[in-house]
Amino acid sequence: MITVKNLYHSYTKDDRYAVKDVTFEIEKGEVFGFLGPSGAGKSTTQGILTGLLQLQQGDVNVVGYDMRKPSRDMFNKIGVSFEQSNVYNKLSALENLDFYKKLFDVPTIDSMFLLKIAGLEHVANKKTSEFSKGMKHRLTFVRSMLNNPEAWFLDEPTTGLDPAIANQIKDIIKEKNQEGTTVFLSTHNMYVADELCHRVAFIIDGEIKLIDSPRNLKLQYGEKLVAVEYKLGDELKKESFSLIDEKDRSRLNDIINQGNIELMHTKEATLEEIFIKVTGRGLQYNETSV
Amino acid sequence: MRLLYNFLKDMRLSSKSFYFYLEIGFTVIIIAVLLFVVPENFETNLSIYLHLDVDDGLYTEIMETLGDNSTDEITIVDTRESLEESMAENRSSVGLSIYRENNQTVYNFVLQGYEEEKFKNIIKTTVETAFANEMFGDTDNITITTLNQGVEKLSDRTNMIPIILTMNVSFMGLFIIASYIFLDKEEGTIKALAVTPNRMWEYLLGKMGVLLVSGIISGFLLMVVMVGTKANYLHFSILLISTSLFGSALGLFVSSFFDTMTKAMGWLFMIIIIFALAATSYFTPSFSPMIIKFLPSYPIMFAFREVLLNNPDIIYIYTTAIGFGIATVFLFVAANYRFKKTLTI
Repeated sequence: MITVKNLYHSYTKDDRYAVKDVTFEIEKGEVFGFLGPSGAGKSTTQGILTGLLQLQQGDVNVVGYDMRKPSRDMFNKIGVSFEQSNVYNKLSALENLDFYKKLFDVPTIDSMFLLKIAGLEHVANKKTSEFSKGMKHRLTFVRSMLNNPEAWFLDEPTTGLDPAIANQIKDIIKEKNQEGTTVFLSTHNMYVADELCHRVAFIIDGEIKLIDSPRNLKLQYGEKLVAVEYKLGDELKKESFSLIDEKDRSRLNDIINQGNIELMHTKEATLEEIFIKVTGRGLQYNETSV
Repeated sequence: MRLLYNFLKDMRLSSKSFYFYLEIGFTVIIIAVLLFVVPENFETNLSIYLHLDVDDGLYTEIMETLGDNSTDEITIVDTRESLEESMAENRSSVGLSIYRENNQTVYNFVLQGYEEEKFKNIIKTTVETAFANEMFGDTDNITITTLNQGVEKLSDRTNMIPIILTMNVSFMGLFIIASYIFLDKEEGTIKALAVTPNRMWEYLLGKMGVLLVSGIISGFLLMVVMVGTKANYLHFSILLISTSLFGSALGLFVSSFFDTMTKAMGWLFMIIIIFALAATSYFTPSFSPMIIKFLPSYPIMFAFREVLLNNPDIIYIYTTAIGFGIATVFLFVAANYRFKKTLTI
């Protein structure tokens, strides 16, 4: 569905590359996460894949179209949701969707239906200048669904949204994916990536450091630990035990046999911890996890 | 159809924005100024205060000479003092005191003091000649020859209309279209459009359509109010459409070299100022250096002037319209090519 080979891009058109030798493939029906901190090269890569930036070096094929000379017809098959909402402020939500709807040459989804999905049907005829940031973001998001895209590019789809709305957005993404839509998800939110993506790529300083499924990454890089809270006399004790280390396993058995356990759960490494382990850098992630 | 949707969307957005009404608002202000401030003609009827201290024979002769022609401009006063008092009250006046001294008739011109030497000489010569002609019967010595007898003269007020049409209607688009483009860029809506099957030329042409509508409204408003039916509106419409599209296409082309309105503003302003220089040659045809003739505003002003004449030079009007039509196509193609590469960055 999407093939990228040896992609390079420089805004200054010299050897200061924003994206360096990026190579990956995304299969039809896959949710592919592109993870990295701000300035890592996520938006540049997505810009090239969606034709907003000219392809300088490398081979990129999106839904069967060579991005060296992308045809406008390609845009009937893709949808793009932006991190920054970009709607016409002087038009209503319905007018916004109705205008974009007319630009496609393929069957489109009813605007009111999309507004309902986004929870905006009650403000359909209200000017978007009166919308909150979250409402505009949802409108931008559902606008990208208008043409039932085969490949759906989502840039930070849950950023700035409250947890309930973010969950709705994630549910819509899952639903569309189950219907066969391929999703390219750029985010620095590892929780969203973990929940939605079949595979993730870690990108930092314009280079992909690793591509794998979240499960494989956790198995490969996470430590198999069990955290236990138990009573020892009147005292509440907290301990972590490795499931690999023989001594820890024996000790854990003893505690289980004593029957004083109050809480016990496995401790997997999060994608963020794995990212830090692999790249040596954090994600500057500072929003509420959803 | 996408072009139509772009145009309709832009019309809807523009009708809710300040820029659309800027050009029309300017036109209304200009119409008000032309109607209520600017006189039909700038020639001022110079008031003349005349004091006569001569014998009855000469007095009668002078009065007969004045006849009924100039009574509005010439006021007879009784004394030299009242002549000076009247002149002090009316600073746009001159005085003439005619009296006898040493058996000679003396013509004493009384001026305000601000007049230049050239003006003094013209007044003196004109009055002398007029009196000489009338009083001493040598009118046969003076003949007047007029070159280019077919030249039509517009009133000074009407003569200003081509400049207003050129600068406010044809070239106002330069600024406004740039504002529209950079506003879309700033709000990010251009990126949302760029990821649809919408083509760049459809987007740009939709914007030009809006400018054309506001240009037609402004242009017709000005013409209908100021000259009514005394113009050929077919010639006018074709010329207006051609030059308005040219202004917008030029605005697009210039804007394509910049990424913000602030950066583009200086260049757009400079272009407008340079184009306005053509007005100097328009008002003073004797001053028409080649560099001014090369300015696009120069032929546009004169073509609009032709539209206002009873016998317009149709070839000139249509040559201008076609020429600017062709230039519009070239500028638009260039702007489209440049924007395809730069607008979404």
